[in-house]
Amino acid sequence: MEFLIAPERLELADAVRTYLAGTHGAEVLRRLDADGNRDPAIWAGLVEMGLPGLLVPEDHGGLGLRLLDGALIAREAGRVCLAEPLVDSALVMVPWLAARGETERLAAIATGEYRPTPAHAINGWQADGDGPSMAGVDPLRNLAALPADASDDPLLLDLGALMSAAELVGLAEAMLDQAVEYSKIREQFGQPIGGFQAIKHKLADVAVALEFARPVVWRAAQALDDGLASASLHVSHAKLVAADASYLAGESAIQVHGAMGYTYEVDLHFWMKRAWALGGAWGSRGFHMRRVDAAVIGGGHAIGPEQTFA
Amino acid sequence: MDLVYTPAQQAFRAEVREWLAANIPDRPLRTLEGEAGFHEHVAWERRLAEGNWGMVTWPEEYGGRGLDLIEWLIFEEEYWGAGAPLRVNQNGIFLLGPTVIEYGTDEQKARFLTPMAAGEVMWAQAWSEPGAGSDMAAIKTTARRDGDHYVINGQKTWSSRASFADWGFGLFRTEEGSQRHKGLSFILFDLDTPGVTRRPIRQLHGEPGFAELFFDDVRVPACNRLAGEGEGWNVAMATAGFERGLMLRSPGRFQATAKRLVELFRAHEADASPAAREAVTRAWMDSQAYAYNTYAVAAKIMAGGSIGAEASLNKIFWSELDRAMNRTAMQLLGAAAELKQFTDGRTNDWLDGYIFSLSGPIYAGSNEIQRNITAERLLDMPRVGKG
Repeated sequence: MEFLIAPERLELADAVRTYLAGTHGAEVLRRLDADGNRDPAIWAGLVEMGLPGLLVPEDHGGLGLRLLDGALIAREAGRVCLAEPLVDSALVMVPWLAARGETERLAAIATGEYRPTPAHAINGWQADGDGPSMAGVDPLRNLAALPADASDDPLLLDLGALMSAAELVGLAEAMLDQAVEYSKIREQFGQPIGGFQAIKHKLADVAVALEFARPVVWRAAQALDDGLASASLHVSHAKLVAADASYLAGESAIQVHGAMGYTYEVDLHFWMKRAWALGGAWGSRGFHMRRVDAAVIGGGHAIGPEQTFA
Repeated sequence: MDLVYTPAQQAFRAEVREWLAANIPDRPLRTLEGEAGFHEHVAWERRLAEGNWGMVTWPEEYGGRGLDLIEWLIFEEEYWGAGAPLRVNQNGIFLLGPTVIEYGTDEQKARFLTPMAAGEVMWAQAWSEPGAGSDMAAIKTTARRDGDHYVINGQKTWSSRASFADWGFGLFRTEEGSQRHKGLSFILFDLDTPGVTRRPIRQLHGEPGFAELFFDDVRVPACNRLAGEGEGWNVAMATAGFERGLMLRSPGRFQATAKRLVELFRAHEADASPAAREAVTRAWMDSQAYAYNTYAVAAKIMAGGSIGAEASLNKIFWSELDRAMNRTAMQLLGAAAELKQFTDGRTNDWLDGYIFSLSGPIYAGSNEIQRNITAERLLDMPRVGKG
C-alpha cells in the first residue's frame, strides 16, 4: 500500500491538471454542448500528452503505469468534466484487455488510432458506442444501445467501477470549488454569502466527505492492481463513497448557487449531470452495498483493527 | 512511500500482541470516570509502563521506545483489537506530551515526560472557562507574575479527569489587560497546590468525569510555563508537529467498535431494520476510511510534512462516526438498550458507549467550530459575519 502518493505520480497528475485547465475550461463545455459535442482537436491533444497509452505496457508503446496512476488521471478527467472517452478507453479498456492477454491492438490505443469503449451488461447501454443512440441527461455523454455481445466479466466491472469512482471524486471536487468561489462573490445582507455559517457548514460537510472518499479510492486502485482477493470489496467501497460524495457535492453546490444554480447558464450543471450518470453506472448503489454487506456482515472478509489492509 | 509491512514491523506487531494477551486485565475495568475505576485505570497505565508501552513514539530517554508513527499505528491496532482498557492519561500522553516534546526545555522534558510515560502522574486539561468555551480566546483566568512565581486567580470548567488527576495544564492570562489571543501563557500546575479547589461535576452517565477548578491566589513556579510568556495561544494551537491531531483518536478504536457492531447485528439480524443493516455496513466502511486517512497523514508527517486545519476534518469524521455506530447499536438492542446489565449479566457497554459518543462532537472544539475552521482555513471562505 502506498499511503502518501509518490511525488512522481502526483507530478504527472499535476501536469495533466494544468493542461486540461488550459484547454478544457467551461467555455469548451458550452461550445461542445452547442455544437455537436465532440471536437477531434481535444482527443488529439490528449493523445499528444500520451494519455491513451498511460496504462499500456511499455513493450506495446505505452507508459506501463499502474492503476493508481490511472485513477489519479480519471480524477483529473472528472475535475474538468472531460468530454472524451479517455477514462473508458485508456483506463478501463486497456487494463482489461491487457489482463486478458488481448494485446494485439494495445499499441494502436497508445497512439490514439484505436479507441475501444467498454460494453458491459451491468450498464444496459454503452457510452461512446456504435449502436443506435440513446438520449441521456448529460449533454456531453454519447449513449448507444448495448451490443448483443456485451461482456459480463467481473474484472471489467471492477475496473469500470474503480475509474468512475475516481472520476466522481474529481467531479465532486470541482463542484465544491465552484460553490466556494460563488459564495465569495455573491453578496446578500451586505456581505459575501460565504461568510455565513449556514453556507460554511454545508460546504465543510462536502470537504469531509471528499477527504474520506479519496483514500478509499486510492486503496481500491492498489488492491485491484495487486490482485488482492478482497479487491472487489474495496472497489465497491470506493464507488459507494465517491458516488455519495458527488451527490452531496452537487446538491450542496446547487443550493449555494440559489436560483442561479437551477439554470442552464451556470456551468455547474455539466458536472452535476456527469455525476448522476457515473453515480449509477458500473453497478448501482444497491449492487455495491450488497457486495460490501456480503463481505462484512456475511463474514467472508476479516474485519477489526488488525485487519486494516486485509 | 510504499507500505508493505516489513518483517521488523510484523515482528513488532507480534511482540505487542503477545504482551497484551499476557497482561490485559481478565475482567473489564470499572469506568474511568468514577473514582474506583479511575484508580484501576491508573494501575493499568503503570502496567503498560512496566512493559515500556506507555508511549511508544517518545524518545527512549523519556520512557518511550523512539518508534515511528506507522509502528504507533500498529501498536494501536493491536491495543484496540485486544480490547485493552481506555487510556486514563490521554490528556497527558496524547495532548500535553507532544507539546512538551516540541516546546519544553530539557529540564521540563525530564520533569514531566518521564513520570507521564511511567504512569506516575495523571493529567487533567484546563482550557474552558464559564465564559470561554467555543470562544476560547475569551479566557479571563489570570496568572500574575510575582518574582519567580505566577499567582493564579479565576475559574476553569469542564476539566476532564480533574476530579482525580494529579496535575493540570491550560491557558492563563499573564498580561494584565490583554485581549483575545494575546497575553496568554501555557502553564502546568499541581492540582494539590494550596488555593486550588476542585468541584467534581456529574456527567451524563452520573460519574464525575470532569470538574470545575477554582483558583484563589494559587502560586505556581514560573518554570512551569511552557514556551515564552504570552505565547500560550500559539503553543495551544500549534500546527507544527501535529501528532496531536493524529493521535487523539487512533483508528483502531473505531475499527474495534465497528467489529463489535457487526457482531451485534448478526445476533439481532431477524429484528433489524434495513436502515440498521446499511448503517452497520457503513460503520465498517467509515472506520476503514478513517484508518486509510490516518496512515496517509502519518506517512506525510514521516516524510517531513505536517497537518494543520485538516485535523478538523478528522475530528468531525471520527466523532460523528462514533455517535452513529453507538446509536445504531442502541437501535438494534431495542428494549434492552436501556438496561445497564443484560439479563445474562453482561454489562451493556453500548449504553456507556452511546453516552460517551455524545460528547465527541462537543469536546476538543465543537464540530461547529471545526466546520468553521474547515471552511475558513481549508476552503478559504470569508471570515466576515459570524452570524
